[in-house]
Amino acid sequence: MSAVAGSEAAVRRRILRCGLLLAVAGQILWSFRPAPGRALTAQEAEGRMLYEASCSTCHGLQAEGSGSGPSLQGVGPAAVDFMLSTGRMPLADPATQPIRQQPRFDPEQTAAIVAYVAAIAPGGPGIPTVDPEAGDLPRGAQLFLNSCSACHGAGAIGDSVGGGQIAPSLYPSSATQIGEAVRVGPGVMPKFGPADLSAQDLNSIARYVLWLRDHGDRGGLQLGRVGAVAEGFVAVVIGLGLLLLVVRLTGSKT
Amino acid sequence: MRRSSLVAAISFGAAILAALGLFVVYIAGGQPQVEGGLLFVALAGIGGGLMVWATRLMTGIGHLTQARRHGLPPPGEKEAAAEAMAGGVEEMSRRRLLFRLLLGAAGALGLAAIFPIRSLGRAPGASLFRTEWRAGLRLVDVDGNLVTRDTLEVDSFTTVFPEDAVGSGDSQAVLIRVPAGSLELPADRLAGAPDDYVVYSKICTHAGCALGLYLAQVHQLRCPCHQSTFDVLNGAQPVYGPAARALPQLPIEIDPDGTMRALGDFTAPVGPSFWDLPPP
Amino acid sequence: MIVRRWVEGVDERLDGSSFISRNLRKVFPDHWSFMLGEIALYSFLLLVLTGTFLSFFYLASDQPVTYAGPYQPLQGQTVSAAYDSVMRLSFEVRAGLVMRQMHHWAALVFMGAIIAHIIRVFFTGAFRKPREISWLIGIGLFLSGIGAGFSGYSLPDDALSGAGLRIAYSIILSIPFVGTWLAYLFFGGEFPGPDILNRLLVLHIFIIPLVIFTLLGAHLALVWHQTHTQFRAPGRTEDTVTGIPVWPKFALKSIGLAFTTFGVIAFLGGLFQVNPIWLYGSFVPYSTASPSQPDYYVGWLEGLLRLWPNWEFHVFGHTIGEVLLPGLVVPGLVFTILALWPFLEARVSGDHEWHHFAQHPREAPVRSAFGAAGVAFFVVLVLAGGNDVVAKFLGVEVDSFNTILRWALFLGPVLSGLVTYWICRDLRDRPRHPLAAPPRVTLRRNAAGGFEEIESETPTAGRALEEPDRR
Repeated sequence: MSAVAGSEAAVRRRILRCGLLLAVAGQILWSFRPAPGRALTAQEAEGRMLYEASCSTCHGLQAEGSGSGPSLQGVGPAAVDFMLSTGRMPLADPATQPIRQQPRFDPEQTAAIVAYVAAIAPGGPGIPTVDPEAGDLPRGAQLFLNSCSACHGAGAIGDSVGGGQIAPSLYPSSATQIGEAVRVGPGVMPKFGPADLSAQDLNSIARYVLWLRDHGDRGGLQLGRVGAVAEGFVAVVIGLGLLLLVVRLTGSKT
Repeated sequence: MRRSSLVAAISFGAAILAALGLFVVYIAGGQPQVEGGLLFVALAGIGGGLMVWATRLMTGIGHLTQARRHGLPPPGEKEAAAEAMAGGVEEMSRRRLLFRLLLGAAGALGLAAIFPIRSLGRAPGASLFRTEWRAGLRLVDVDGNLVTRDTLEVDSFTTVFPEDAVGSGDSQAVLIRVPAGSLELPADRLAGAPDDYVVYSKICTHAGCALGLYLAQVHQLRCPCHQSTFDVLNGAQPVYGPAARALPQLPIEIDPDGTMRALGDFTAPVGPSFWDLPPP
Repeated sequence: MIVRRWVEGVDERLDGSSFISRNLRKVFPDHWSFMLGEIALYSFLLLVLTGTFLSFFYLASDQPVTYAGPYQPLQGQTVSAAYDSVMRLSFEVRAGLVMRQMHHWAALVFMGAIIAHIIRVFFTGAFRKPREISWLIGIGLFLSGIGAGFSGYSLPDDALSGAGLRIAYSIILSIPFVGTWLAYLFFGGEFPGPDILNRLLVLHIFIIPLVIFTLLGAHLALVWHQTHTQFRAPGRTEDTVTGIPVWPKFALKSIGLAFTTFGVIAFLGGLFQVNPIWLYGSFVPYSTASPSQPDYYVGWLEGLLRLWPNWEFHVFGHTIGEVLLPGLVVPGLVFTILALWPFLEARVSGDHEWHHFAQHPREAPVRSAFGAAGVAFFVVLVLAGGNDVVAKFLGVEVDSFNTILRWALFLGPVLSGLVTYWICRDLRDRPRHPLAAPPRVTLRRNAAGGFEEIESETPTAGRALEEPDRR
């Protein structure tokens, strides 16, 4: 009995020792994982932690992509900031279209991740400075109608664009997010570079979209600004409905 | 009964007040919601009061029954009417030659009277087969600025016109920059799509709306009207929706300084199909 | 006093006293469903009144002008003069916007009331001999209404209605042989053409209203002359009509309905925005926004265009475009069947008698089945016309939604027709309506321990069917 117990104890000690060795070896190897050539700033280091915890499973440790997520090489800080600040990323199910949700990270954390990704995947459009106050409202309206309304709707309320995708409503967006989306072209959206839509054009478009959001229309209840579908519904259900009620109350039943 | 007359009285009273309110609103400058609300009270007040009066207060007048005065005409009467009408026509048609000449004159004049309708529009001629694009014309955007190789990013697109016809309905085209090497056009078409730039007509071949949706990730142009979708990499062949015809391509060349020029008109007539369009 | 003197004065000159007396006493059945046509009539009246106001401000010109009004996002922009005139009406003319919105809502209610009225006339068999002419006139009014609506909402020359005009142009273009000529004649040339706004204006404020007035006059005159149908009830026969006299009761009720209709439309016109052209911008041929739908009474055509497969035909070296079948042939077929229905039904049923009784839908199961199928067809198409908006609202993918709608276009009418047929047959074959109160019987326990009936009372079924037509 005691001989067996003795050898059991020896086996246990051996296992513990191997385990300790593996753990230490693992730690040493982990510290040799590929890293940017230069030393990270404090912000980038924080970003690295957050990135590796929340993003690397799909986008890869080196932002090289994987089966579940595209490479982030060259996407640019604008794309990363857009995806994080609108809550589209981290995406729980890679098969679905990323949609706007409550952002997982606060602005400081977002900035840290943006900085880190910029360090390991340089290039791409930077976060644009969008100043709606400096924009020209009529020019913004004209640009919006010509370049954006086909997908996002004349009232910026969004529409289905096919292939399972929705061009979302722009009302929840900030000016910076509008600028980022235009430069980055998230999802199926095309991108519009500075030679096509200048920084001042971005200011104007943002100014118009925010104006649309903040200004109701003179005509009354906007019915979601979707146009004839809602109008027809109201005419039949409310207009004709009320009148049907009236005739039903005042007409005879025989 | 008493409650009904009270309801009617309140209706009319509210209508009077609302009508007075309309005076005030109008003089004060007007406001659509207030105007609508007051009009509603004024009009429905009169209407509701009248309906209550007619249905609840005029109790002395009930349902009455009357004979329907008109029925099938008595035997012989409809034949007599038909005979009276036909008789008059026969009186005229007895004089055969005169009658036929009259019909001829009426017919000829009727046909001639149709001709002023022709003045309403011009003959289509060949105008549906041509646009304003000619070889050598430079591509400009909707603001009239020249479009060059550097204007667009990859996966971007813009609307282009010939430099002397900005805003032209039939010449409108869409310039798309696709990822390098992704175009799958036959060789002769590829020659007109240099450096991964390709230009197609912006007019949907289904019913003519402007194709403003570019789904860059899947390289498809989609129409907001009836969801016709065209594959940009593959000669704008329709891949979904009710369109049957590919978008005509505009062959372009790029000058050394980056300016883009058309090499000629579109490869096919633009816009929806019509009778004289030859099959591909 | 005054009224008496006036009537006597008129009669002294016209010798119409017997005409007046007789017609003031004329009775009209007052079932509630007979008032739907009146809603349409009074909506039309409001359209004319508000439309007259609008026509003083509208300018049918496509000449470019610079917008200088108070709507900020358009200031300094180049817009057409027509668009500018409607913007001015909406933002700078007092009561302009409420008039314009009332006009548009009245059009939507007008078409809805016509459709409801057609449904009522159809399901009650009121189109049967001798009222086939009224039915034909009614279909003519329906078509005229669609024409008036389409021409009307295209007048502001905004981007949304311009897309609709483009689609109409393409449908005309696709007509074999003469399509290109007809399109060039109507529009004055290649799309958009310089003349189209003016021509639409002439159509909208002159030709179509003239047609509607004439048809409406004939329609009302026929109802007056032939007297209105009525539902069966105890005491009613084919040769009599029971109702309320025209003056004062029916007329005042009807005038009350007129004002109520105006009031409801005013409510919509002030409180609900409709056709906000400032969001869409002035029409340019190179830009089409989404969502892109016409008003719902044209929306069923839009649905046909969206769901129709991409069939293009080539015959003898010529092309027949994809839009011809869904845009012209199918609607033409639908309206032809609708117009000829009284004659088709009479031929199939062999029934060429006069009918003054309106039927309950259950008395004609086959007709009601077809009617239900028609309504289902129409509803699916209207939904299809707005498929991108409805799909986004329901949270489904629009391309899958289209597939569902295509199936629904066939299965929907078939299913609703079958279900309607079975329900009608079932209701018709019962002795009394299943929702009517059951016969009440009073029982008493007798000394032997059994029950005996001392009193029974069969309530009237209300709308008793004495001789249901077998159809």
